[in-house]
Amino acid sequence: MRHIVVIGLGRFGSAIAEALSSKQCEVLVIDSDEKKIERLEPIVTQALVLDATDEEALREAGIRDFDVAIVAVGADIEASILITMLLKEFGIKEVVTKAMDNLHAKILRKVGCDRVVFPERDMGQRLAESLISPKIFDYIELSSTHSLIEIDAPESLEGRTLKQAELRAKYGVSVIAIKRKTPTIREDGETEFKETTIIGPSADEEIQRGDRLCLLGKDEGLVGIQKL
Amino acid sequence: MSKVEELVDLAKFYFLNKNFEEAIQKYVEALKLTPKDARIYYNLGIVYEAMNIVDKAKENFRLALELDETLIAAKKHLHRLVGG
Repeated sequence: MRHIVVIGLGRFGSAIAEALSSKQCEVLVIDSDEKKIERLEPIVTQALVLDATDEEALREAGIRDFDVAIVAVGADIEASILITMLLKEFGIKEVVTKAMDNLHAKILRKVGCDRVVFPERDMGQRLAESLISPKIFDYIELSSTHSLIEIDAPESLEGRTLKQAELRAKYGVSVIAIKRKTPTIREDGETEFKETTIIGPSADEEIQRGDRLCLLGKDEGLVGIQKL
Repeated sequence: MSKVEELVDLAKFYFLNKNFEEAIQKYVEALKLTPKDARIYYNLGIVYEAMNIVDKAKENFRLALELDETLIAAKKHLHRLVGG
């Protein structure tokens, strides 16, 4: 199990800490604001009120033992840089820091930050993509040429197996998962559907009505499939 | 069996067979006979959600809840579609 420390409990830091705890990770949260700590205390493994720019205090908190650190004190740029630097000096393998702008990101990389994130910008981009293409439920840009998207299965592919659909041959796109809703009747007699995700579906898997396809491939191929 | 029950049963049969258009048609016919049946709106929402037609699904779950706010399943589905 990975031991993760989240420093800074604003909206971003709190959301990450809650999500990690719900996935059974060992999570330590740190903030100088006692109220924020009190709110998260029942959810996480450990919660400490301390000033994370204080090297000695971090040492006493046993920060060296953590595998991953998330620095979410974005608005206080000076503090975020200092904390990132200290965490790297303590030998934490993966330090992820929230940046406010490009210059902040550049400095963070210089002090050894392993991953810089811009939560608002990243989320904004993803939301924009999903609004431009309403058929796309989710979108992740993997490189400037390749992406991962989730779309409604085009009607013209319903009833065909993946082999017959020839998405790889025609579009250079792989179906990495199919999300399927199977209609069912509940005990009280009303309808419901059971959701299953078929990871790495076989070539013989048939595309059904209401399926969502998770596709990986070149952007032009992904655009082509959406026009089917 | 009443005409409404007959239509709803047929709609459920079509839904189970993923014949969503027919299911919708039968539910709509049933609603013409009994326009204030929350459960029919819920079931109609389920069909639309299974088809990934989110707007229509939300609309029907909302209508179901307006008529019967205790329909937990409708609440659950609506919450999931609206997010947050």
